[in-house]
Amino acid sequence: MGTFEEHPRGALHAYLDKELSLEGSLEVEAHLAECAACRRELETYRALRRLMQSAKASAPEAESALLKVTRSVRARRRRAVALSGFGAMAAAALVALMLVPKLGDGVVREVAAVHARALDSGRSVEIASSDPVALGQWLSARLPGAVPPTAGGDGFALRGARVDSLEGRPVATAVYQVRSHLVDVFAWPSTEKDMEPRPSVSGRWTVCRWSHAGVAYWMVSDAGTDDLKALAALIKDRRT
Amino acid sequence: MDSAVTESWLCVDDESREFERFARPHAAAALRLARTLVRNEADAQDVLQDSFLRAFRHFRGFSGESPRAWLLSIVRNVSFTLWRKRERDDPGEAEATLDGEPDPGPSAEAQLLEACDAEQLHAALDRLPGLHREVLVLREMEECTYREISEILGVPIGTVMSRLSRARAQLVRELVGDPRSKN
Repeated sequence: MGTFEEHPRGALHAYLDKELSLEGSLEVEAHLAECAACRRELETYRALRRLMQSAKASAPEAESALLKVTRSVRARRRRAVALSGFGAMAAAALVALMLVPKLGDGVVREVAAVHARALDSGRSVEIASSDPVALGQWLSARLPGAVPPTAGGDGFALRGARVDSLEGRPVATAVYQVRSHLVDVFAWPSTEKDMEPRPSVSGRWTVCRWSHAGVAYWMVSDAGTDDLKALAALIKDRRT
Repeated sequence: MDSAVTESWLCVDDESREFERFARPHAAAALRLARTLVRNEADAQDVLQDSFLRAFRHFRGFSGESPRAWLLSIVRNVSFTLWRKRERDDPGEAEATLDGEPDPGPSAEAQLLEACDAEQLHAALDRLPGLHREVLVLREMEECTYREISEILGVPIGTVMSRLSRARAQLVRELVGDPRSKN
Protein backbone atom coordinates (compact mmCIF):
# COMPACT_ATOMS: atom_id res chain seq x y z
CA MET A 1 0.00 0.00 0.00
CA GLY A 2 2.82 2.45 0.81
CA THR A 3 2.22 5.87 2.22
CA PHE A 4 -0.16 8.19 0.48
CA GLU A 5 1.55 10.98 -1.32
CA GLU A 6 -1.84 12.21 -2.41
CA HIS A 7 -5.31 10.93 -1.57
CA PRO A 8 -5.73 7.17 -1.08
CA ARG A 9 -8.45 6.88 -3.73
CA GLY A 10 -8.76 3.16 -4.22
CA ALA A 11 -7.82 2.43 -0.65
CA LEU A 12 -10.59 4.67 0.60
CA HIS A 13 -13.15 2.42 -1.06
CA ALA A 14 -11.45 -0.73 0.17
CA TYR A 15 -11.42 0.83 3.64
CA LEU A 16 -15.12 1.61 3.44
CA ASP A 17 -15.74 -1.98 2.34
CA LYS A 18 -13.60 -3.45 5.12
CA GLU A 19 -11.37 -5.13 2.59
CA LEU A 20 -8.07 -3.74 3.89
CA SER A 21 -5.57 -5.41 6.14
CA LEU A 22 -5.17 -3.95 9.61
CA GLU A 23 -2.03 -2.21 8.44
CA GLY A 24 -3.75 -0.74 5.41
CA SER A 25 -6.68 0.43 7.52
CA LEU A 26 -4.35 2.19 9.91
CA GLU A 27 -2.66 3.98 7.03
CA VAL A 28 -5.99 5.16 5.66
CA GLU A 29 -7.07 6.29 9.11
CA ALA A 30 -3.84 8.23 9.53
CA HIS A 31 -4.50 9.96 6.24
CA LEU A 32 -8.13 10.66 7.12
CA ALA A 33 -7.03 12.36 10.32
CA GLU A 34 -5.09 14.83 8.20
CA CYS A 35 -7.31 15.23 5.16
CA ALA A 36 -10.73 16.88 5.29
CA ALA A 37 -11.38 16.19 1.59
CA CYS A 38 -11.05 12.43 2.07
CA ARG A 39 -13.16 12.54 5.22
CA ARG A 40 -15.90 14.25 3.21
CA GLU A 41 -15.61 11.72 0.43
CA LEU A 42 -15.88 8.85 2.86
CA GLU A 43 -18.88 10.46 4.50
CA THR A 44 -20.51 10.83 1.08
CA TYR A 45 -20.00 7.15 0.23
CA ARG A 46 -21.33 6.11 3.60
CA ALA A 47 -24.47 8.15 2.94
CA LEU A 48 -24.70 6.50 -0.47
CA ARG A 49 -24.50 3.10 1.17
CA ARG A 50 -27.27 3.95 3.62
CA LEU A 51 -29.42 5.13 0.75
CA MET A 52 -28.85 1.96 -1.27
CA GLN A 53 -29.54 -0.28 1.70
CA SER A 54 -32.74 1.55 2.54
CA ALA A 55 -33.85 1.10 -1.07
CA LYS A 56 -33.10 -2.63 -1.12
CA ALA A 57 -36.38 -4.27 -2.04
CA SER A 58 -37.40 -7.55 -0.54
CA ALA A 59 -38.22 -10.04 -3.25
CA PRO A 60 -40.53 -12.76 -1.97
CA GLU A 61 -41.62 -13.56 -5.52
CA ALA A 62 -38.11 -14.85 -6.20
CA GLU A 63 -38.80 -17.83 -3.99
CA SER A 64 -42.04 -18.59 -5.80
CA ALA A 65 -40.13 -18.55 -9.06
CA LEU A 66 -37.66 -21.06 -7.65
CA LEU A 67 -40.44 -23.37 -6.46
CA LYS A 68 -42.17 -23.08 -9.83
CA VAL A 69 -39.01 -24.31 -11.55
CA THR A 70 -38.41 -27.23 -9.22
CA ARG A 71 -42.08 -28.21 -9.30
CA SER A 72 -42.10 -28.26 -13.08
CA VAL A 73 -38.99 -30.45 -13.05
CA ARG A 74 -40.76 -32.89 -10.77
CA ALA A 75 -43.97 -32.79 -12.80
CA ARG A 76 -42.08 -33.58 -16.00
CA ARG A 77 -40.53 -36.53 -14.22
CA ARG A 78 -43.90 -37.81 -13.07
CA ARG A 79 -45.30 -37.57 -16.57
CA ALA A 80 -42.38 -39.67 -17.75
CA VAL A 81 -43.20 -42.28 -15.11
CA ALA A 82 -46.87 -42.25 -16.11
CA LEU A 83 -45.86 -42.77 -19.74
CA SER A 84 -43.82 -45.78 -18.77
CA GLY A 85 -47.03 -47.34 -17.39
CA PHE A 86 -48.42 -47.34 -20.92
CA GLY A 87 -45.45 -49.21 -22.20
CA ALA A 88 -43.59 -46.18 -23.50
CA MET A 89 -40.50 -47.31 -21.71
CA ALA A 90 -38.15 -46.08 -24.39
CA ALA A 91 -39.49 -42.54 -24.11
CA ALA A 92 -39.30 -42.65 -20.34
CA ALA A 93 -35.79 -43.99 -20.43
CA LEU A 94 -34.79 -41.20 -22.79
CA VAL A 95 -36.29 -38.56 -20.52
CA ALA A 96 -34.64 -40.30 -17.60
CA LEU A 97 -31.31 -40.06 -19.34
CA MET A 98 -31.78 -36.36 -19.85
CA LEU A 99 -33.26 -35.47 -16.50
CA VAL A 100 -31.96 -37.95 -14.09
CA PRO A 101 -29.04 -36.83 -12.43
CA LYS A 102 -25.81 -38.47 -12.04
CA LEU A 103 -27.03 -38.27 -8.47
CA GLY A 104 -29.54 -41.08 -8.86
CA ASP A 105 -27.13 -43.55 -10.33
CA GLY A 106 -24.26 -42.14 -8.36
CA VAL A 107 -25.92 -42.69 -5.03
CA VAL A 108 -27.13 -46.16 -5.90
CA ARG A 109 -23.60 -47.00 -6.93
CA GLU A 110 -22.23 -45.47 -3.76
CA VAL A 111 -24.66 -47.40 -1.58
CA ALA A 112 -23.80 -50.64 -3.36
CA ALA A 113 -20.09 -49.89 -3.13
CA VAL A 114 -20.22 -49.28 0.63
CA HIS A 115 -22.07 -52.57 1.07
CA ALA A 116 -19.73 -54.52 -1.19
CA ARG A 117 -16.67 -53.08 0.51
CA ALA A 118 -17.95 -54.08 3.93
CA LEU A 119 -18.64 -57.62 2.72
CA ASP A 120 -15.36 -57.99 0.85
CA SER A 121 -13.27 -56.71 3.74
CA GLY A 122 -14.81 -59.39 5.95
CA ARG A 123 -15.89 -56.62 8.30
CA SER A 124 -19.59 -56.53 7.66
CA VAL A 125 -20.02 -55.13 11.17
CA GLU A 126 -17.74 -53.03 13.36
CA ILE A 127 -19.56 -54.20 16.46
CA ALA A 128 -21.42 -57.52 16.54
CA SER A 129 -24.53 -57.65 18.69
CA SER A 130 -28.22 -58.38 18.39
CA ASP A 131 -29.08 -55.93 21.15
CA PRO A 132 -30.46 -52.69 19.63
CA VAL A 133 -29.81 -50.72 22.85
CA ALA A 134 -26.12 -51.71 23.01
CA LEU A 135 -25.72 -50.96 19.28
CA GLY A 136 -27.50 -47.63 19.71
CA GLN A 137 -25.09 -46.66 22.48
CA TRP A 138 -22.09 -47.74 20.45
CA LEU A 139 -23.32 -45.72 17.46
CA SER A 140 -24.18 -42.55 19.34
CA ALA A 141 -20.75 -42.55 21.01
CA ARG A 142 -19.24 -42.31 17.52
CA LEU A 143 -21.90 -40.31 15.77
CA PRO A 144 -23.91 -37.83 17.83
CA GLY A 145 -27.58 -38.05 16.92
CA ALA A 146 -27.14 -41.47 15.30
CA VAL A 147 -30.37 -43.30 14.56
CA PRO A 148 -30.42 -46.40 16.81
CA PRO A 149 -31.20 -49.73 15.10
CA THR A 150 -34.45 -51.55 15.74
CA ALA A 151 -34.60 -55.14 17.03
CA GLY A 152 -34.76 -58.07 14.59
CA GLY A 153 -37.75 -60.37 14.09
CA ASP A 154 -39.88 -61.93 11.32
CA GLY A 155 -36.87 -63.88 10.01
CA PHE A 156 -34.52 -60.87 10.20
CA ALA A 157 -31.71 -61.16 12.75
CA LEU A 158 -29.92 -58.02 13.89
CA ARG A 159 -26.21 -58.74 13.48
CA GLY A 160 -24.44 -55.53 14.37
CA ALA A 161 -23.62 -52.00 13.31
CA ARG A 162 -21.12 -49.76 11.56
CA VAL A 163 -20.63 -46.08 10.91
CA ASP A 164 -20.43 -45.32 7.19
CA SER A 165 -20.31 -42.25 5.04
CA LEU A 166 -22.96 -41.76 2.39
CA GLU A 167 -23.45 -38.74 0.12
CA GLY A 168 -20.89 -36.94 2.18
CA ARG A 169 -22.68 -37.39 5.50
CA PRO A 170 -21.97 -39.90 8.24
CA VAL A 171 -24.74 -42.46 8.65
CA ALA A 172 -25.54 -45.13 11.19
CA THR A 173 -25.56 -48.54 9.55
CA ALA A 174 -27.47 -51.45 11.04
CA VAL A 175 -26.76 -54.90 9.62
CA TYR A 176 -29.48 -57.55 9.48
CA GLN A 177 -29.41 -61.09 8.20
CA VAL A 178 -32.25 -62.82 6.41
CA ARG A 179 -31.56 -66.45 5.46
CA SER A 180 -28.04 -66.27 4.01
CA HIS A 181 -28.24 -62.61 2.99
CA LEU A 182 -26.88 -59.60 4.81
CA VAL A 183 -28.83 -56.36 4.57
CA ASP A 184 -27.26 -52.98 5.28
CA VAL A 185 -29.66 -50.34 6.53
CA PHE A 186 -28.20 -46.82 6.46
CA ALA A 187 -30.19 -44.34 8.48
CA TRP A 188 -29.97 -40.66 9.28
CA PRO A 189 -32.33 -38.08 10.75
CA SER A 190 -34.15 -36.14 8.06
CA THR A 191 -36.98 -33.66 7.72
CA GLU A 192 -38.20 -35.05 4.42
CA LYS A 193 -41.72 -36.35 4.33
CA ASP A 194 -42.44 -40.06 4.50
CA MET A 195 -41.61 -42.01 1.37
CA GLU A 196 -42.70 -45.59 0.70
CA PRO A 197 -39.98 -48.20 0.21
CA ARG A 198 -39.95 -49.32 -3.44
CA PRO A 199 -36.91 -51.54 -3.86
CA SER A 200 -35.25 -51.76 -7.25
CA VAL A 201 -32.57 -54.02 -8.60
CA SER A 202 -29.32 -52.49 -9.72
CA GLY A 203 -26.81 -55.06 -10.98
CA ARG A 204 -26.39 -57.73 -8.35
CA TRP A 205 -27.84 -55.54 -5.60
CA THR A 206 -31.33 -54.73 -4.49
CA VAL A 207 -31.48 -51.16 -3.22
CA CYS A 208 -34.19 -49.10 -1.69
CA ARG A 209 -34.50 -45.50 -0.52
CA TRP A 210 -37.32 -44.59 1.83
CA SER A 211 -38.17 -42.52 4.83
CA HIS A 212 -40.44 -42.73 7.77
CA ALA A 213 -41.10 -40.64 10.86
CA GLY A 214 -38.15 -38.29 10.59
CA VAL A 215 -35.61 -40.89 9.51
CA ALA A 216 -34.34 -41.41 5.97
CA TYR A 217 -33.04 -44.81 4.90
CA TRP A 218 -31.05 -46.52 2.22
CA MET A 219 -31.12 -50.30 2.22
CA VAL A 220 -28.93 -52.55 0.15
CA SER A 221 -28.60 -56.31 -0.07
CA ASP A 222 -28.35 -59.26 -2.39
CA ALA A 223 -31.69 -60.39 -0.96
CA GLY A 224 -34.86 -59.86 -3.03
CA THR A 225 -37.15 -56.85 -3.25
CA ASP A 226 -39.77 -58.58 -1.07
CA ASP A 227 -37.18 -59.09 1.65
CA LEU A 228 -36.33 -55.39 1.68
CA LYS A 229 -40.00 -54.46 1.79
CA ALA A 230 -40.53 -56.83 4.69
CA LEU A 231 -37.56 -55.42 6.58
CA ALA A 232 -38.77 -51.86 5.99
CA ALA A 233 -42.17 -52.85 7.35
CA LEU A 234 -40.53 -54.40 10.41
CA ILE A 235 -38.46 -51.28 11.09
CA LYS A 236 -41.51 -49.05 10.70
CA ASP A 237 -43.46 -51.30 13.01
CA ARG A 238 -40.75 -51.24 15.67
CA ARG A 239 -40.32 -47.48 15.37
CA THR A 240 -43.97 -46.61 15.99
CA MET B 1 -37.93 -51.92 -14.52
CA ASP B 2 -40.94 -50.04 -13.24
CA SER B 3 -39.42 -49.79 -9.82
CA ALA B 4 -36.15 -48.61 -11.34
CA VAL B 5 -37.96 -45.80 -13.09
CA THR B 6 -39.77 -44.96 -9.89
CA GLU B 7 -36.47 -44.98 -8.09
CA SER B 8 -34.96 -42.46 -10.48
CA TRP B 9 -38.07 -40.35 -10.21
CA LEU B 10 -37.64 -40.31 -6.45
CA CYS B 11 -34.04 -39.26 -6.95
CA VAL B 12 -35.12 -36.28 -9.05
CA ASP B 13 -37.58 -35.40 -6.29
CA ASP B 14 -34.77 -35.54 -3.80
CA GLU B 15 -32.44 -33.58 -5.99
CA SER B 16 -34.91 -30.85 -6.76
CA ARG B 17 -35.69 -30.44 -3.07
CA GLU B 18 -32.01 -30.30 -2.30
CA PHE B 19 -31.68 -27.65 -4.97
CA GLU B 20 -34.48 -25.68 -3.32
CA ARG B 21 -32.53 -25.69 -0.08
CA PHE B 22 -29.38 -24.70 -1.94
CA ALA B 23 -30.88 -21.82 -3.92
CA ARG B 24 -33.57 -20.48 -1.62
CA PRO B 25 -31.33 -18.27 0.57
CA HIS B 26 -30.07 -16.52 -2.55
CA ALA B 27 -33.29 -16.28 -4.56
CA ALA B 28 -34.05 -12.68 -3.59
CA ALA B 29 -30.51 -11.56 -4.40
CA ALA B 30 -30.80 -13.33 -7.76
CA LEU B 31 -33.99 -11.45 -8.60
CA ARG B 32 -32.54 -8.11 -7.51
CA LEU B 33 -29.50 -8.66 -9.70
CA ALA B 34 -31.70 -9.71 -12.62
CA ARG B 35 -33.72 -6.52 -12.19
CA THR B 36 -30.54 -4.49 -12.05
CA LEU B 37 -29.33 -5.98 -15.29
CA VAL B 38 -32.41 -6.17 -17.49
CA ARG B 39 -34.50 -3.28 -16.19
CA ASN B 40 -37.90 -4.61 -17.13
CA GLU B 41 -39.81 -6.80 -14.74
CA ALA B 42 -41.02 -9.42 -17.22
CA ASP B 43 -37.49 -9.93 -18.51
CA ALA B 44 -36.17 -10.10 -14.95
CA GLN B 45 -38.64 -12.87 -14.13
CA ASP B 46 -37.63 -14.76 -17.28
CA VAL B 47 -33.98 -14.38 -16.44
CA LEU B 48 -34.62 -15.61 -12.92
CA GLN B 49 -36.47 -18.74 -14.06
CA ASP B 50 -33.97 -19.51 -16.73
CA SER B 51 -31.15 -19.08 -14.22
CA PHE B 52 -32.75 -21.42 -11.71
CA LEU B 53 -33.23 -24.03 -14.39
CA ARG B 54 -29.64 -23.76 -15.52
CA ALA B 55 -28.39 -23.80 -11.96
CA PHE B 56 -30.48 -26.89 -11.25
CA ARG B 57 -28.95 -28.73 -14.18
CA HIS B 58 -25.45 -27.98 -13.03
CA PHE B 59 -25.53 -27.60 -9.27
CA ARG B 60 -24.28 -31.17 -8.76
CA GLY B 61 -21.01 -30.07 -10.24
CA PHE B 62 -20.76 -26.97 -8.06
CA SER B 63 -17.73 -27.21 -5.85
CA GLY B 64 -16.85 -23.60 -5.11
CA GLU B 65 -16.99 -21.79 -1.82
CA SER B 66 -19.88 -19.46 -2.39
CA PRO B 67 -23.19 -20.81 -3.71
CA ARG B 68 -24.40 -17.22 -3.84
CA ALA B 69 -21.54 -16.08 -6.08
CA TRP B 70 -22.09 -19.09 -8.34
CA LEU B 71 -25.83 -18.51 -8.64
CA LEU B 72 -25.40 -14.79 -9.24
CA SER B 73 -22.82 -15.44 -11.94
CA ILE B 74 -25.41 -17.59 -13.72
CA VAL B 75 -28.00 -14.82 -13.40
CA ARG B 76 -25.48 -12.47 -14.92
CA ASN B 77 -24.72 -14.76 -17.85
CA VAL B 78 -28.39 -15.32 -18.57
CA SER B 79 -29.03 -11.57 -18.39
CA PHE B 80 -26.23 -10.86 -20.82
CA THR B 81 -27.58 -13.37 -23.28
CA LEU B 82 -30.86 -11.51 -23.16
CA TRP B 83 -29.09 -8.16 -23.41
CA ARG B 84 -27.26 -9.18 -26.51
CA LYS B 85 -30.58 -10.13 -28.00
CA ARG B 86 -32.46 -6.99 -26.97
CA GLU B 87 -29.98 -4.19 -26.83
CA ARG B 88 -27.37 -5.26 -29.30
CA ASP B 89 -26.69 -1.80 -30.60
CA ASP B 90 -27.23 0.24 -27.46
CA PRO B 91 -24.00 2.17 -27.06
CA GLY B 92 -25.07 3.35 -23.62
CA GLU B 93 -24.06 0.06 -22.09
CA ALA B 94 -20.37 0.36 -22.76
CA GLU B 95 -18.39 0.93 -19.63
CA ALA B 96 -18.08 4.65 -19.12
CA THR B 97 -14.69 6.00 -18.34
CA LEU B 98 -14.47 9.03 -16.18
CA ASP B 99 -12.12 11.79 -16.99
CA GLY B 100 -9.95 12.13 -13.97
CA GLU B 101 -10.61 11.23 -10.38
CA PRO B 102 -13.72 12.39 -8.61
CA ASP B 103 -13.20 15.62 -6.78
CA PRO B 104 -14.01 15.77 -3.12
CA GLY B 105 -17.60 16.96 -3.09
CA PRO B 106 -18.99 19.81 -1.15
CA SER B 107 -19.54 18.91 2.47
CA ALA B 108 -23.28 19.10 1.84
CA GLU B 109 -23.13 16.08 -0.47
CA ALA B 110 -23.78 13.52 2.22
CA GLN B 111 -26.73 15.54 3.41
CA LEU B 112 -28.13 15.80 -0.09
CA LEU B 113 -27.87 12.03 -0.37
CA GLU B 114 -29.71 11.59 2.92
CA ALA B 115 -32.58 13.52 1.38
CA CYS B 116 -32.88 11.18 -1.63
CA ASP B 117 -35.52 8.47 -1.72
CA ALA B 118 -35.59 4.99 -3.26
CA GLU B 119 -37.32 6.22 -6.39
CA GLN B 120 -34.63 8.79 -7.09
CA LEU B 121 -31.97 6.19 -6.40
CA HIS B 122 -33.43 3.69 -8.87
CA ALA B 123 -33.82 6.39 -11.49
CA ALA B 124 -30.17 7.37 -11.02
CA LEU B 125 -29.04 3.73 -11.13
CA ASP B 126 -30.89 3.33 -14.40
CA ARG B 127 -28.82 6.10 -15.91
CA LEU B 128 -25.57 4.28 -15.09
CA PRO B 129 -23.95 1.78 -17.45
CA GLY B 130 -24.81 -1.84 -16.57
CA LEU B 131 -21.30 -2.65 -15.41
CA HIS B 132 -21.52 0.12 -12.83
CA ARG B 133 -25.06 -0.76 -11.78
CA GLU B 134 -24.29 -4.37 -11.08
CA VAL B 135 -21.12 -3.76 -9.09
CA LEU B 136 -22.97 -1.25 -6.88
CA VAL B 137 -25.92 -3.53 -6.29
CA LEU B 138 -23.66 -6.50 -5.50
CA ARG B 139 -21.58 -4.50 -3.05
CA GLU B 140 -24.07 -2.14 -1.40
CA MET B 141 -27.27 -4.16 -1.41
CA GLU B 142 -26.12 -7.77 -1.42
CA GLU B 143 -23.01 -6.96 0.60
CA CYS B 144 -20.83 -9.29 -1.43
CA THR B 145 -17.11 -9.29 -0.69
CA TYR B 146 -14.66 -8.18 -3.37
CA ARG B 147 -13.71 -11.80 -3.82
CA GLU B 148 -17.31 -12.84 -4.46
CA ILE B 149 -17.84 -9.96 -6.85
CA SER B 150 -14.67 -10.90 -8.67
CA GLU B 151 -16.01 -14.44 -8.98
CA ILE B 152 -19.42 -13.30 -10.20
CA LEU B 153 -18.09 -10.84 -12.76
CA GLY B 154 -15.13 -12.98 -13.75
CA VAL B 155 -12.67 -10.11 -13.34
CA PRO B 156 -9.67 -9.61 -11.02
CA ILE B 157 -10.19 -8.00 -7.62
CA GLY B 158 -8.26 -4.93 -8.76
CA THR B 159 -10.85 -4.39 -11.49
CA VAL B 160 -13.64 -4.79 -8.95
CA MET B 161 -12.05 -2.05 -6.84
CA SER B 162 -11.54 0.42 -9.66
CA ARG B 163 -14.95 -0.23 -11.16
CA LEU B 164 -16.59 0.19 -7.78
CA SER B 165 -14.85 3.48 -7.10
CA ARG B 166 -15.86 4.84 -10.49
CA ALA B 167 -19.40 3.57 -10.07
CA ARG B 168 -19.83 5.20 -6.67
CA ALA B 169 -18.49 8.51 -7.90
CA GLN B 170 -20.78 8.39 -10.90
CA LEU B 171 -23.84 7.48 -8.86
CA VAL B 172 -23.18 10.33 -6.46
CA ARG B 173 -22.96 12.70 -9.43
CA GLU B 174 -26.23 11.36 -10.82
CA LEU B 175 -27.95 11.87 -7.50
CA VAL B 176 -26.66 15.22 -6.37
CA GLY B 177 -25.17 16.72 -9.49
CA ASP B 178 -21.59 17.10 -10.52
CA PRO B 179 -19.63 18.15 -7.47
CA ARG B 180 -17.15 19.94 -9.72
CA SER B 181 -19.82 22.27 -11.01
CA LYS B 182 -20.63 23.29 -7.47
CA ASN B 183 -17.12 24.11 -6.45
